[in-house]
Amino acid sequence: MSTEEVGATAHVPTGTARPLIEAQGVSRVYATVSGETVHALGHVDLRIADGEFVCLVGPSGCGKSTFLRLVAGLDPCDGGRLALAGHPVIGPSSDVGVVFQTANLLPWFTVLANVSLPLRVGAGRGRPAPPHQVQELLAIAGIAEFANKYPYELSGGMQQRAAIVRALVRDPKVLLMDEPFGALDALTRERLNVELLRIWQASRKTILLITHSIAESVFLADRVLVMSARPGRILREIPIHLPRPRTLDETPAHPDYVRLMTEIRGLLYREAI
Amino acid sequence: MSAQANASASIPNARRTLSAARVRRAAINGGVFVLLLACWIVAVRAFGLKSYILPLPGDVLKALWAGLAVSITDKAGFYVPLWVTLGNSALGFLLGSALGLVLGSLMAEFRPVETAIMPYAFALQSLPKVAIAPLIVIWFGFGNMSKVVIAATLTFFPMLVNSFTGLRATEPERIDLMRTLSATRLETYLRVKLPSAAPYIFAGLDMGAVYALLGTIVAEFLGAQTGMGVTITQLQAVSDVAGVFACLIVLGATGVLLHVGMRAVERRVVHWTERSRS
Repeated sequence: MSTEEVGATAHVPTGTARPLIEAQGVSRVYATVSGETVHALGHVDLRIADGEFVCLVGPSGCGKSTFLRLVAGLDPCDGGRLALAGHPVIGPSSDVGVVFQTANLLPWFTVLANVSLPLRVGAGRGRPAPPHQVQELLAIAGIAEFANKYPYELSGGMQQRAAIVRALVRDPKVLLMDEPFGALDALTRERLNVELLRIWQASRKTILLITHSIAESVFLADRVLVMSARPGRILREIPIHLPRPRTLDETPAHPDYVRLMTEIRGLLYREAI
Repeated sequence: MSAQANASASIPNARRTLSAARVRRAAINGGVFVLLLACWIVAVRAFGLKSYILPLPGDVLKALWAGLAVSITDKAGFYVPLWVTLGNSALGFLLGSALGLVLGSLMAEFRPVETAIMPYAFALQSLPKVAIAPLIVIWFGFGNMSKVVIAATLTFFPMLVNSFTGLRATEPERIDLMRTLSATRLETYLRVKLPSAAPYIFAGLDMGAVYALLGTIVAEFLGAQTGMGVTITQLQAVSDVAGVFACLIVLGATGVLLHVGMRAVERRVVHWTERSRS
């Protein structure tokens, strides 16, 4: 099995090109109800290249989700510099699609209405909405036959596929995913990991995915960023040079797979203590 | 072939157990009803109650029949006063619930509006609002207007509180979603907050429908040309207690119909909740 097949070359981030996402000393502080100040993020530095798949892992409460909200423009930074395609992040952008921890579909809309919602509100309003493109994305995600169903008629896995289609429908440059498969059973999760890689390779998006699962991060990413306990900062950057396309049969059997998992686990355990 | 036959045979079986449960429930309900009627009759006989204190069920049924078995335009029957009462209730209900929803929405969306209105809303909410009926009659007279205003006032408060509570209870994740899409405030309100609050709003409408009827009757007690409240006070004046009971049955049935109708509408509109699918 050659690793040099067409479409199988690993995405090597080009260090010289301007990064799509760039964080320099980003910090975030918030006050709890009781008035305590919590340093959620310490001093985050990272650069993510166009087309890269990056996973962010870290102990619970280390500020992973907080960082994602900053990139999504949902919350402001309290310090440092955060830029998207060279422009400072000042609010939500059409260049960013977000997939939440739960599918977060609106139960009063059908799947089709849910996934095309981004084309009907905000910056998507008035844009010519190509219906065939929505249908195409539904087909790629394997849920075309559920277009006219309501979310409650779908399994959790199918709902999360619809959530991914919704995040892609404005054709953003970046996909931010906050533990998107955390609520699913192990089998569905593995299957969706494979699907996600397929969608990523077909759409050439830049993906920043947060996960608790070390196996998931190694399976998916070009690079895994390990975060420290709160206040979170990037502890180590681990390039994953496993061959693509990755499969459930071959990738876990690769000699580097276990080594990488052990390395990340070691870092995380040291942090948790 | 035989498997198919088996499968089709098992469905009527399931249906039979379902209907058995239904029969049992109907038997219990019917039994309790008969028991209550028996107690009623026994009490009248045993204590020798006069018909102007507590009439027999048969007398009530006769009065009910006398009120219902007439032309719908007959002023002596129940239809004309019921129609007037329902008309005023419906108008008051529509006005009150619309105002409640609008103000509740403004309070939920704009903090200053909330700050300005909240103390008054809560103070008035704990006031027994039928107590202001005499004032409203002074201001709006004995005509239909005072009935509509009282019905609207009573409908307004549960709608205000429920729509405000429901809109504020919108899941933050759904609002975050709309923010990532740079949706406008109105888009977020219409597509996310209002549907999220729909179960609360329907609970408010359900309460409001009953309150509107209640308010109209109370206003009619205070003075009116026609209406079920007027009919009840007229029958009371001539000690026709059986007639009063008949009116109560008519009003009770109307209330149940309103509730059932409202639930049916809710089921169709808010089809995605557990409640509407059970």
